[in-house]
Amino acid sequence: MNSIKISANGLEKRYNPETSDEVLAIEDVTLDIGEGEFVSLLGPSGCGKSTFLFMVGGFEQQTAGTLTLNGAPITGPGSNRGIVFQEYVLFPWQIVAKNIAYGLRVSGVDKATLDARVAELISMIGLEGFENAYPESLSGGMKQRVAIARALAYDPEILLMDEPFGALDAQTRSRMIQDLTKIHSETNKTTLFVTHSVEESILLSDRIALFSARPSRIKQVFDIDIPHPRSVTDARFVAYEEKILESLNEEVQRTTDSSSTMT
Amino acid sequence: MRVTGVNSLLMPPPSAILVRLVEMLGPGQGATPDFLMLRHIGMTMVALLAGFFLAALVSSAIGLIMGMNRTIFAWFNPIISMFMVIPNIAFVPVIILWMGLGLKTVIVVVITGSCFPIIYTAAAGVQSVPKRMIWAAQTAGASRRQILTTVLLGATMPYLIAGHKLALGRAWRAVIAGEIFASTAYGVGFMIFDARTFLDSKAMFAGLIVVGLTGVALERVLFGYIERRTVVKWGISTSKDL
Repeated sequence: MNSIKISANGLEKRYNPETSDEVLAIEDVTLDIGEGEFVSLLGPSGCGKSTFLFMVGGFEQQTAGTLTLNGAPITGPGSNRGIVFQEYVLFPWQIVAKNIAYGLRVSGVDKATLDARVAELISMIGLEGFENAYPESLSGGMKQRVAIARALAYDPEILLMDEPFGALDAQTRSRMIQDLTKIHSETNKTTLFVTHSVEESILLSDRIALFSARPSRIKQVFDIDIPHPRSVTDARFVAYEEKILESLNEEVQRTTDSSSTMT
Repeated sequence: MRVTGVNSLLMPPPSAILVRLVEMLGPGQGATPDFLMLRHIGMTMVALLAGFFLAALVSSAIGLIMGMNRTIFAWFNPIISMFMVIPNIAFVPVIILWMGLGLKTVIVVVITGSCFPIIYTAAAGVQSVPKRMIWAAQTAGASRRQILTTVLLGATMPYLIAGHKLALGRAWRAVIAGEIFASTAYGVGFMIFDARTFLDSKAMFAGLIVVGLTGVALERVLFGYIERRTVVKWGISTSKDL
């Protein structure tokens, strides 16, 4: 592994601590993520994988343990990270080019640099000709491309992605997976990718951190040792899939069991 | 066509109302000044627009601040809710007591009528902005001030427009009510009320028609352009065919 970029140690997250609504979302997560690594956070619904991502984003604070970025504790959001959400969350009142340029505009980058950077990103995401379109006129896949470009525009060290392809149809999703693989190999950004799709995580990741059912821990970490581009028909893919699905299904089963005993 | 058996003084036929309206729009006869109706409309518009724009300016700011700060919201929201249910006309006697009769009083009545819906919807608009939209901006390095100007204003725009439309409707009610009680010479409200002294029911109905038509025209002029430039263009408006 390269030098450590993000390090979580004994991380715990309780919601509404010391009240009757207290929920222990994350019990104990210990995980190091190296520079340039693509790590998927995989787990059953509601297991706290997005919560972990939001803590790395600086939007949520842990209730115990440490979480560091470049060795320093994370205290809030900042432009050394870029974030992509499942629901795109573009600014509908701004055209595509302005959405992409958002981070550059708020930091006061000069217009020539900004225009060049936007043009570069537009071509990377293949949306030439849509610079002046408003987000509402775009398809889901196109919106998500814009969101990825917006997150990369100001050249953050880390890309955080919260189930970014969850709302897309199967064809668009497989195309987006290919493109993200390419983008990652070109930019080499440290990437945290939350998903509940085993297929997505194997196709994309260097490593997969499998979260247990809530209260979550890291159950198992899988190193995915298949060269890119990866294919779902590859025997190695199938072998990983079988192994990971088995482990994941145990957790899904536990989630279902605990929710059925609750009712 | 004539409907028979109706007292034409209480319910004048449309044709007669129209004739009276045209008469009042044209040059004066005898003691009646020229373009009487236009003078009334003019005065009403001055009071309406002055009151509405003053309310819009201040109330939008108050609403945005309320939406952004939970403590301020908790303090002011019950007060706003209370004022929202008090019929605006109930303020008029108090305002007359404070300020006497005249244009200033009518303008204040309009302000009291139109400010609360704007405050209310602006605050609701800010609170409806998805948390993740703010997160996206923060992560991109935006300061609190930049989040206000680059995210909250845009995201709140549909609410601001709806609030101002609602407020303009309230402003019309307020200006007519205000003029009935507090105007001394001109204004459509004043004219409608004054006409009763002369049993001029045709003028009263002409006044109602003028209020309705001017109201619709003003809404189109004020908001049609703004909506086409904002929410319709962005594709987030429900009234795309406006």
